[in-house]
Amino acid sequence: MANLNINARKKNTYDAIVIGSGISGGWAAKELCDGGLKTLVLERGRDVKHIEDYPTANKHPWEFEHRGQVPLALRENYGRSFLREETLHWAIKADEQPFVQEKPFTWTRGYHVGGKSLLWARQTQRWSDFDFEGPARDGYAIDWPIRYADIAPWYSHVEKFAGISGNKDGLPHLPDGEFLPPIELNCVEQHLQGVLAKNYTDRQLIQGRCAHITSPQPIHLQQGRGKCQHRNLCNRGCPFGGYFSANASTLPWAAKTGKMTLRPDSVVHSIIFDEKKGKASGVRIIDANTKEMIEYYAKVIFVNAGAVNSNMILLNSISERFPTGLGNDSGVLGKYFTCHNYRGKANAQVEGFLDKTTSGKNPSNGYIPRFRNVLKQDTDFLRGYSIGIGAGRGTYSNRDGIGEDLKNQLLHPQLGNWGVSAWMQGECVPIESNHLRLHTELKDKYGIPQLITSVAWTDNDDKMVKDFQEQVEEMFSRAGFKNISANDTKSNPGSDIHEMGGIRMGADPKTSILNKWNQVHTCKNVFVTDGACMTSTGTQNPSLTYMAITARAANYAVGEFKKRNL
Amino acid sequence: MQRRKSIKNIALLAGGLIVLPTWAKAWSLETLPPMALPLPTLEGNTLALIIEAIIPESDTKGAKSLGVPAFINTMLADCYEKKVVENVEKSLTRVEGIAQTKFQQGFAALPLAQKQALLLEIEKGEDKDLKDFYSLIKNLTIQGYTTSEYVMTTFLKYEMVPGHYHGCVPVKS
Repeated sequence: MANLNINARKKNTYDAIVIGSGISGGWAAKELCDGGLKTLVLERGRDVKHIEDYPTANKHPWEFEHRGQVPLALRENYGRSFLREETLHWAIKADEQPFVQEKPFTWTRGYHVGGKSLLWARQTQRWSDFDFEGPARDGYAIDWPIRYADIAPWYSHVEKFAGISGNKDGLPHLPDGEFLPPIELNCVEQHLQGVLAKNYTDRQLIQGRCAHITSPQPIHLQQGRGKCQHRNLCNRGCPFGGYFSANASTLPWAAKTGKMTLRPDSVVHSIIFDEKKGKASGVRIIDANTKEMIEYYAKVIFVNAGAVNSNMILLNSISERFPTGLGNDSGVLGKYFTCHNYRGKANAQVEGFLDKTTSGKNPSNGYIPRFRNVLKQDTDFLRGYSIGIGAGRGTYSNRDGIGEDLKNQLLHPQLGNWGVSAWMQGECVPIESNHLRLHTELKDKYGIPQLITSVAWTDNDDKMVKDFQEQVEEMFSRAGFKNISANDTKSNPGSDIHEMGGIRMGADPKTSILNKWNQVHTCKNVFVTDGACMTSTGTQNPSLTYMAITARAANYAVGEFKKRNL
Repeated sequence: MQRRKSIKNIALLAGGLIVLPTWAKAWSLETLPPMALPLPTLEGNTLALIIEAIIPESDTKGAKSLGVPAFINTMLADCYEKKVVENVEKSLTRVEGIAQTKFQQGFAALPLAQKQALLLEIEKGEDKDLKDFYSLIKNLTIQGYTTSEYVMTTFLKYEMVPGHYHGCVPVKS
């Protein structure tokens, strides 16, 4: 019997376990496997194999029975979702994981192998020290334990592999990276770029750097990925591997090392803490199909479940040593949880440029890096916001009338005028009262305590939206755009799908959970490297930074593992 | 329709409690082919005739030969609330009534021009239920027609894989 147990334990033992197979989990898997560690990757959702599990990727509009609309009966099953008929296979069912919104919170989840890396917006801007030093400068939240110099080589490392297109813009607050040729700005975006250059010294319009391969390098061909085909059907999964996803890139790479075991349908319950050894010994999962609880063991554990779920896992990892959650001596676990402020949206009509149009499809957009409170505090709110900019020209047909006239109108659409839109990407200052916690009674269908979200906008966020509205109106007016409308959508926190914090990094274990290598201060073989580790939010789309932080931490973990320190 | 309903009911009954066998998983709402008209035959015919009157066959294909009536039936069966579908049913009967009163014939027997005149009158009229009905059917007809393979590939320069993006090119005359 004892032998049986030992054998069973051995069978379930790996060098490393990665919880989550999305954008950061994929990177952890790749780096740990490249480092020679036998790695188990746990994913709560179903398996999604690159290309073969993208059922709608090559379907034409007329091949969708409802032309994209989701049938009512399915809408009931899936609840509210931004997904359409083309992408409904990525939606989760309403009963998968109910949660309690103490304050309104929008939580978008991607429960399948690859996670939200199949669904992201693919914008990849680097942070600078203006971002890392934000908290230290104005005293809100705590100082980051790392600086740009710590992360810069890892940005390069992940950019080269993922394939990032962009211009070298030479901006100190938005450092250049390892770029493939840029995607072009269009006529109207170029016009606005010129207007900003002429009228402002503090702001520039650049092309957003994005994770699309514009010129495949040997490293991309080695992954079996090719050039972006400008289909803009990215969220169905890309059969060309034209944009970066864990499915197209990091996971197959890790699999090829022979070191990776991928286990889908594995809902992580908690991390097992060994009281004698004073460190984590493994992970408890619930098999999503059989509902059986199974334990897996490893010396190194990477938590990449997505910011909210990573918080839930640590909060649910209760032991004698950690009665309120793994590593939570400081009491800050689940607190200082935040996101980006995407409330501000604007659009306007553009006169002129009627002899010009675009050709093909644009997977990227223009980008105005943060210009508020960069060099000094110059507004009545903290930090700042960047702005996404997109212009374009559509076609329309007159739908009046009936019969032959109507038919002719529909068969000969006219080019419309140009339009332009802007969206705000604001930094939220993390505060203690914005937090996640677990429900003491309610559980989900796996027997895991339900989440309670208690996250609200602050006065600082309100002021920032107002400033965005004013600034966009001014910039658009100077560009000669007409019928400008800049609104506060008052969307819920979380609508940006950039959940961050709750397991923040910091130098001081009294005010943070993770050290500068993303190790839990008091349980060094557990690393958290997804959005949950973020001490502050910056204004940049965060995925690239998660990738770099993950690659850095995973390489450190490989070193420590080999030195037998973990 | 009946088969659709029964599958929906199976799904509701199952409620996650029973694990469906593989054959049943493959036989889901999404994979079912477009069903027969959800409406009685008479109204079904009227509906198909209205759709064809909105975008008739000429030297290019019309809505009917592009399968738009079947598309609209699918949409009505799957994507619209019961009260909307009921208004479609009632309105089809009323269209028959209008044809009888105005022209002393069934809608089907009217020449195309008279069918169209009748529909334009509804579009410009005051009766909200009839206007809602016509606006829905017209919009769905336009949607089905303009997203058909024939129209997209023959007339609308449909290009699934452009392979490039140019941000500022001259408009081709």
